[in-house]
Amino acid sequence: MKQPEYQRRPDAAPKVTGALKYLTDRFEENMLIGKVLRSEYPHARIKKIDTSAAEALPGIHAVLTHHDVPGLNRFGIVTPDQPVFCEDRVRYTGDAVAAVAAESAEAADQALAAVIVEYEPLPVLDSVEKALDPEAELLHEAGNILHEAYYTRGNLQEGFAGCTSIVEETYQLPRQMHGYMETEGGVVVPEKDGGISVYMATQHGFKDRFQLSRILDAPEEKIRIISSPIGGSFGGKDELNLQPYGALLALKAGLPVRVHNTREESVRAGLKRHPMAITMRTGADENGRVLAHETTIYADTGAYATLGPAILEFAVEHASGLYPIPNIATTGVSVFTNNGVAGEFRGFGGNQVTFALEGQMDRLAERLGMEGAELRAKNMRKPSDAGPLGQEIAPTDGGRMILEDVTAWQQLPLSNAGETPWVKNGRGGAVSMHGGGLGYGRLDPSGGRLALTKEGKLEAAFGFEECGQGIAAVIETVMKDTFSCHEEDIEITIGDTNKVPVSGSTTASRGTGMVWTAVENMKDSFRRQLLAEASRVTATAAADLYLGAGGVHKIGTEPSLFLSYKALAEYVQEGDIETHTAFDFPVTPDEIDSGHYLYSFGGVSAEVEVNLLTGTVRVLDLKQSVSAGPVMYPQGYRGQIEGGGIMALGYTLMEDAVMDEGRYQTENFDTYLMPGVKDLPDNVTVKPREEVMEGDIHGPRGVGEIGTIAVAPAIAEAIYQAIGARPHKLPVSREWVLQQIQQRGLLPWNKPEKIPGG
Amino acid sequence: MEQTRKDSRGIERRQGKYACTFHVNGEEVSIEASPMDRVVDLLRDRMHETGTKISCGIGRCGACSIWLDGRLTSSCLLLAYQVEGKEVTTIEGIGTEERCSIVQEAFMNEGGFQCGYCTPGMIMATESLLRHTPDPDDEQIREGLSGNICRCTGYSGIIRAVRAASVNLQ
Repeated sequence: MKQPEYQRRPDAAPKVTGALKYLTDRFEENMLIGKVLRSEYPHARIKKIDTSAAEALPGIHAVLTHHDVPGLNRFGIVTPDQPVFCEDRVRYTGDAVAAVAAESAEAADQALAAVIVEYEPLPVLDSVEKALDPEAELLHEAGNILHEAYYTRGNLQEGFAGCTSIVEETYQLPRQMHGYMETEGGVVVPEKDGGISVYMATQHGFKDRFQLSRILDAPEEKIRIISSPIGGSFGGKDELNLQPYGALLALKAGLPVRVHNTREESVRAGLKRHPMAITMRTGADENGRVLAHETTIYADTGAYATLGPAILEFAVEHASGLYPIPNIATTGVSVFTNNGVAGEFRGFGGNQVTFALEGQMDRLAERLGMEGAELRAKNMRKPSDAGPLGQEIAPTDGGRMILEDVTAWQQLPLSNAGETPWVKNGRGGAVSMHGGGLGYGRLDPSGGRLALTKEGKLEAAFGFEECGQGIAAVIETVMKDTFSCHEEDIEITIGDTNKVPVSGSTTASRGTGMVWTAVENMKDSFRRQLLAEASRVTATAAADLYLGAGGVHKIGTEPSLFLSYKALAEYVQEGDIETHTAFDFPVTPDEIDSGHYLYSFGGVSAEVEVNLLTGTVRVLDLKQSVSAGPVMYPQGYRGQIEGGGIMALGYTLMEDAVMDEGRYQTENFDTYLMPGVKDLPDNVTVKPREEVMEGDIHGPRGVGEIGTIAVAPAIAEAIYQAIGARPHKLPVSREWVLQQIQQRGLLPWNKPEKIPGG
Repeated sequence: MEQTRKDSRGIERRQGKYACTFHVNGEEVSIEASPMDRVVDLLRDRMHETGTKISCGIGRCGACSIWLDGRLTSSCLLLAYQVEGKEVTTIEGIGTEERCSIVQEAFMNEGGFQCGYCTPGMIMATESLLRHTPDPDDEQIREGLSGNICRCTGYSGIIRAVRAASVNLQ
């Protein structure tokens, strides 16, 4: 770690003072309020939509339905299958039927209430089982299966035949909510040239521009997407949400329109993490060599596709994780239902499948009479091993390094062993491997631009968004490291399609690595241009000049600052000193679809205490070891792992957006519980393992996701160590814990000799 | 605008809009409002003081935290008539980018924020905590911040910031 931890982020002061204007804070003169009418039913035919009464109300500037979409009435990053406005059928309670723009929020609410929609309810397919019933109604023309993905190698039967120990379990994973604090929304402004400016959060501005162009039937050049800063996203704002409604309403009304989901609207319409049921059968020989591994994944993808297929493929790829098992068969099925839409969420299918895989390793270790860490070490990949799909990957020793830390941490003493008879402690460990970038066969371009602005700033421009992860701090750090400049010399340009180059999506743990690579590509050219110009205007040999804080410095002079960037800028026209780069995220040379090339690794050690009287599980200690290449910005790196860890703690112990008959049983943070400060473990440790293989040219890997992956299996194993029962369903409920305690006779009154004080 | 009518028990009730007068960060403001307007909406939509955020709208997350006569409270659960004649303090009254408070400095130094959307509310809670309990122990810190949700940081950086601020304030 190069910088001191307390180096402040460029967005620090505006954020801590409340001065930063988020896109939902934006105000425009004559701005209208837009609202969206969502379906009353999880599954129904629309028999009639009548907006006449709504249109007649005072203060209403636009009332829109599917009749008012000039272009494609669909969206979806890869497969546009989600209606902007439903025509004749609704498939989930978040489906939009109409939208209004009004002079006040009250008027908009009244207009929505005045829209008459007649529905004919249809049977609700609220589970994968119901949707796969051959008699079930088809939710989409092609059927109720969104996607299937497979991977096989070796011979599973032969593999199992050589096993002395085989374990099988079905793991059930919940529907986690992103819970970003800023709900979806922003302002759309109609511009004089007939175009629009869309001030709304997204994780890929150019993709929003493309999708809106298709919906509005307008050229992309007429659409400007301003997409930063963002009050949290975690994948949840990757897909379009309110942009189409804001844009259509603004164009129809000819006035700026603000749309901003209430929390209830956000819960109802927004993406969630895929609930999955994962069955794994895993076997090893008597020496603990895992020989066969069979996985079946059923994912509930909800009503529409978004990135459901890619998430399923990611889960299939990571089903064997860090273990090069010779015989593998993995099947994944992603199924449409009338439940809320599942999609992009930090970890991207890896969280679910790693909970299952690491659960298998612990079950197998116990069967073999081994420590979990020992079994993992026996089966750990070697630096030059192929990736999980048999594809060539960048050599890495990350798995061994993080396992080394986890193994050492497992030896630590429990914090209050035996002190309180009705509290049992346990410690568990787990490891994970996580692909970065979008994977083989997917367009994954990146790039950047460096320029000297006419104000004399070194502009670093990237098509990324700042959603809290700290990309701006990474850009600043890389610039400072590369050009020895001061933070005041740098101007960061992000999140505006009119100003930034194509950098690809702000997803898939790719931003940090792409910034680093882009600056590596551009640094020589940019430095040469700056020095050549400085040499020309000062008639000094370029060889005597170098870049430093404030501008160009000269060897042997005191002070060394020779020509400030501001002074240099006065001699040149804007654009004279500018350099670009465009490249693709590194991919495996093997033609294996969706296979990744760069991986990060995360190892977790968790200590829990289980209260035998209440069934409460409290995490006391959470340690994470991370191998993701060199650390760029220490405060951000640490924050990603700490924050990801607590988000995953919520996934493990408390979070599930329960649905019943296609309706959310939670609509806000009173019934959907995310970790609060009191759930924070007493100790949280982040240990970066920065070493990379000799000759590695890929720099930092990005840590947006890796801190969320192996937390759940580590906590599950810790619970097992405490009470002797293995969780297979998340979140681990108190009811389940109490049931296990009762079955095992762990309660003090079952053992009168141990009653405290008695 | 202001109208009165008698309710079913014969008590006179205000209807329509009236000039709601209160103090925000020391300055008197008078806004035409309905008595039932949420204070968070008055601040954000009418006064364009958007440092106060809106997230859950039900008093659960603390993003809209302000002080009412010095007491920490959720402005999404506060109605216009309840602030009449009172003193409201928002994040804008704590510090500016040029002159941050010690608590704000600590949040910047210790990684007490990421996306920043919960941060104004978190800082209002921290300032309040440290005014009443200048040297809080871990339990008191957790109690003091238990009304505020942060989805990004996992709270570790926030707790470091509160501890550092507590030391620096003394």
